[in-house]
Amino acid sequence: MARLQLKKVVKSYPSGDVIRGVDLDIDDREFVVFVGPSGCGKSTLLRMISGLESVSSGEIIIDDQCVNDIPAAQRGLAMVFQSYALYPHMTVYQNLAFGLENIRTPRDTIAKKIAEAAKMLQIDHLLDRKPTALSGGQRQRVAIGRAIVREPKIFLFDEPLSNLDAELRVQMRAEISQLHRQLGNTMIYVTHDQVEAMTMADKIVVLRSGNIEQVGAPLDLYNRPENRFVAGFIGSPKMNFLPGVISSIDSDGVQVKLDGDEEPTILARVDGAGRTDGEKVTVGIRPEHIHVPGDQSTGRTAAPNGGNTVKLAVKHTEQLGSESYLFAELSGGKRVVVHLPGQTSARIGDIIDVQIPAPSCHIFQTDRGEMALPRLDAPIDRPTTPQTDQ
Amino acid sequence: MNDKFASWPHRVLAVVTGALRAITHLMLNIPERPMRWAQRVLGGQRIAWLFLTPNLIIFSLFTFLPILINFYYAVTGGVQLWPSERPFIGTENFQKLFACDNYFDYSTCDQDLFWRAIYNSMKFVSIQVVLMVLFSLITALVLNRKIVGRGFFRSVYFFPVLLSPVVVALVWRWILLRDGVLNAIIESMGGEKVLWLLDPSWSFFWVIFVTVWAQMGFYTLILLAGLQAIPRDVYEAAQMDRASPWRTFRKITLPLLMPNMIVVLALALIRAVQTFDEVFVLTGGGPGSATTFLVQYIYNTGFAQQIQRFGLAAAASLVLAVVLFILTMAQLRASRSKIDG
Ligand SMILES: Nc1ncnc2c1ncn2[C@@H]1O[C@H](COP(=O)(O)OP(=O)(O)OP(=O)(O)O)[C@@H](O)[C@H]1O
Ligand SMILES: [Mg+2]
Repeated sequence: MARLQLKKVVKSYPSGDVIRGVDLDIDDREFVVFVGPSGCGKSTLLRMISGLESVSSGEIIIDDQCVNDIPAAQRGLAMVFQSYALYPHMTVYQNLAFGLENIRTPRDTIAKKIAEAAKMLQIDHLLDRKPTALSGGQRQRVAIGRAIVREPKIFLFDEPLSNLDAELRVQMRAEISQLHRQLGNTMIYVTHDQVEAMTMADKIVVLRSGNIEQVGAPLDLYNRPENRFVAGFIGSPKMNFLPGVISSIDSDGVQVKLDGDEEPTILARVDGAGRTDGEKVTVGIRPEHIHVPGDQSTGRTAAPNGGNTVKLAVKHTEQLGSESYLFAELSGGKRVVVHLPGQTSARIGDIIDVQIPAPSCHIFQTDRGEMALPRLDAPIDRPTTPQTDQ
Repeated sequence: MNDKFASWPHRVLAVVTGALRAITHLMLNIPERPMRWAQRVLGGQRIAWLFLTPNLIIFSLFTFLPILINFYYAVTGGVQLWPSERPFIGTENFQKLFACDNYFDYSTCDQDLFWRAIYNSMKFVSIQVVLMVLFSLITALVLNRKIVGRGFFRSVYFFPVLLSPVVVALVWRWILLRDGVLNAIIESMGGEKVLWLLDPSWSFFWVIFVTVWAQMGFYTLILLAGLQAIPRDVYEAAQMDRASPWRTFRKITLPLLMPNMIVVLALALIRAVQTFDEVFVLTGGGPGSATTFLVQYIYNTGFAQQIQRFGLAAAASLVLAVVLFILTMAQLRASRSKIDG
C-alpha cells in the first residue's frame, strides 16, 4: 500500500525556482517514470519525495499523510542512486545489512532477507566482496538489493542505469521491470532516456524546466502528445517538425501549406475547431509514419488511406539491415527524416514519392504552450519495429 | 599596441621584459655547450651523477656524517670535543644511562634526569597526542559542515602552523608570564595572579595546550581533506538506510576517515616525541625539570651544562632514534595494511 500525491510542489533555490508547482498522483503498485532533458528537475523532484531535499511549498502526501516535515529516514522509502552510493568499506553483505541493523532487526532475519534478495538478484556469490571488487552491473544489483531488503513502501531510482554500457542497460532494464512485477511495489524511476521510459513505465511523467508537460501511458504519449515538446521528446528518431500556415479547415481535418514557395500542403486528421485560416502552425510527422510505396525491399507498400503524397529528394541513407533511415528534403529544401523497416532500395540523389497518412499527422500551435490540435480518430499507425537502443 | 602611443610605464615595462628575456636566454645558453660536451663524454647514465653530486655532498656532510659521528661519540668518553682525544669506552655510556635500581623510580637511577625526561616525554606524548587527534577531529568535523564563515575559520585554525615554533612560544610566554596578559585580565576582573609557568602542573598543562594549539591546524587539514573525500551520496544512502547521526559517524565517517586518522596519529606521535623548541622557549624545561623532555635532556647534557658530556648525549640520542624508528615502522605497517585491507 503506497499512494503518493504531490500537491503544488515547489522547490526554490536562491538562484530561482527549480520545481514550479507540480501536481501528480501515483497509485499503489504503479511504475512511474520521470523523464525530461538534463536539468529539468527530475532528480530534485525525486529527492524531495525521498526527503533528502526540503520542500519549498506545496505538499507531498504518502498514504494520506503529509510527509513534508518527516525526515527521509522515517518515510519508509528506498533510493537507488545513479552512482550506486555503496558503502566502500563494507562487504556486499554488510552493505545490505546496514539498513536492517539500523532498525534493530534480529540477526537471523537479516541473514534470511539478504539471502532472498541476493538470490533474486544473482549476487549470492559476491556477498563477501567489497564494492571495489565488483563490476558496474554487479554494483547496481547490490544497490538495488540494499533497497529491496528494507521492504520500502516506494522504490526511488535516480538514473540507475546511466553508468552501464548499452548492452547491460538493456538487460538491467528488463530485470528491473521483472522485479517490479515480482515485488509489486510502487516504483518511481528517473531517466533522461525516453527508450527506458517507454519500455518500463506504466505511467510516464514528462518534465521540462520544473513543470509537468504531460502525464500518461507510454503509448498515449506517443500517439497523442499534448504539445510539441512531448511530441519531440517521445519517439526516436525525433518527430519531423515543419512550419506552415492553415489553408483550410473542414470535417476531414486541417490543411496546412508548409512555409516556402515550393513546399507542399499537408492534410492532418485533427480537429480545427477554434482555429482560423492563415494561422501559423507546425506540422509534426513521425519518421516511421512516412511510407515509401513501391520500395520493394521494405515490404511496406502504400499506406492504408493515402492522405498526403509528397516528393522527397534523398540526400543520405543509413542502412542498419533490419531498418533504414532516409535523410531527405522536400521540394522546397525542408529537411525530413524517414524511418523504414527492413532495407531500402532508395539511393542518394533519388527523388521519391512518399505517402503520409493524414491520421498520422500532428498539428501544433506556434503560440504559448505549442499545444497540439486534438486528433480526430484513433491513430491507425503504430511503430512497425520494436523500440531499440541506438 | 602601437609603440608611438605607448605611455612611459609601458615602455619601461617593455624594456624590462626584453632585458629579462635576453638574460634568461643567455643563462639557458651558457650551460648548453658544456652540458652537451659532458653528455658526449660521460654518456647518459653517468651524467645523472653530475646532477646528484651537489645534493649528495650536502646530505653527506650535514646528515649522514653527523649520524656516523654520533655513533662514534656514543662509544667514546671524556669531555673533549676533538674525536682523536676521546678514549674508547664501549657501552659504558649506555650502561650509565640504564643504571637503575628500580626503573619505576627515577631517583634510584644514575642518570635520574634522563629517566625523568623519559617519564615526562611518555606522559606528554600520551596526553598530547590523544588531545591533538581528538581536537583536530572535532575541528575538522565542525569545519566540514556548512557553517557561516567556514573559509575564515579554516584559515584561522591553520594560521598557527605557519608561525615559527619559537614565535608561538614567545607569544604564549608573554601571555602566561607572572605579569603577562592572562594574569592582567584575571586581575582586572578581580581575580588573583596564577603562576602559570612556575607551577609544575600548570606549566605541563600549558606545554600541552600550546603545542596542540600550534600544530592542530595541520592535522585538521589532513582530516578535513579526508572528510571531503567521502562522497555526499554515501551519507544520503545512510540517511535513507535510517542510520542515526551517531551510527553514521561510527560506521561510515570514522572507518572511511581511518587512513587519514592513522597518518595524523603517526605524524603527531613522531612530532610529540621530538618536541623541543616550543617547550624550550616557553618553560625552558622547568620549573625544575617538570617539562624537560628527551630532546631537551640530550641538548642539556651535550651542550648546555658546564661539563659537556657529548658521549652521554650521543648515547641518549641513539635511544631516541630507536624509539622513532620503531614508531615509523609501526606507522608504515599500519598505513600499508589499511590500504590493502
Ligand atoms: N543546490 C542547488 N542550488 C541551486 N540550483 C540547483 C541546486 N541543485 C540543483 N539545482 C538546479 O536545479 C535544476 C534541476 O536539477 P536536477 O538535478 O533536478 O536536474 P535533472 O533533471 O536531474 O538533470 P540530470 O538529467 O542532468 O540529472 C538544474 O538547473 C540545477 O542547476
Ligand atoms: Mg539528475
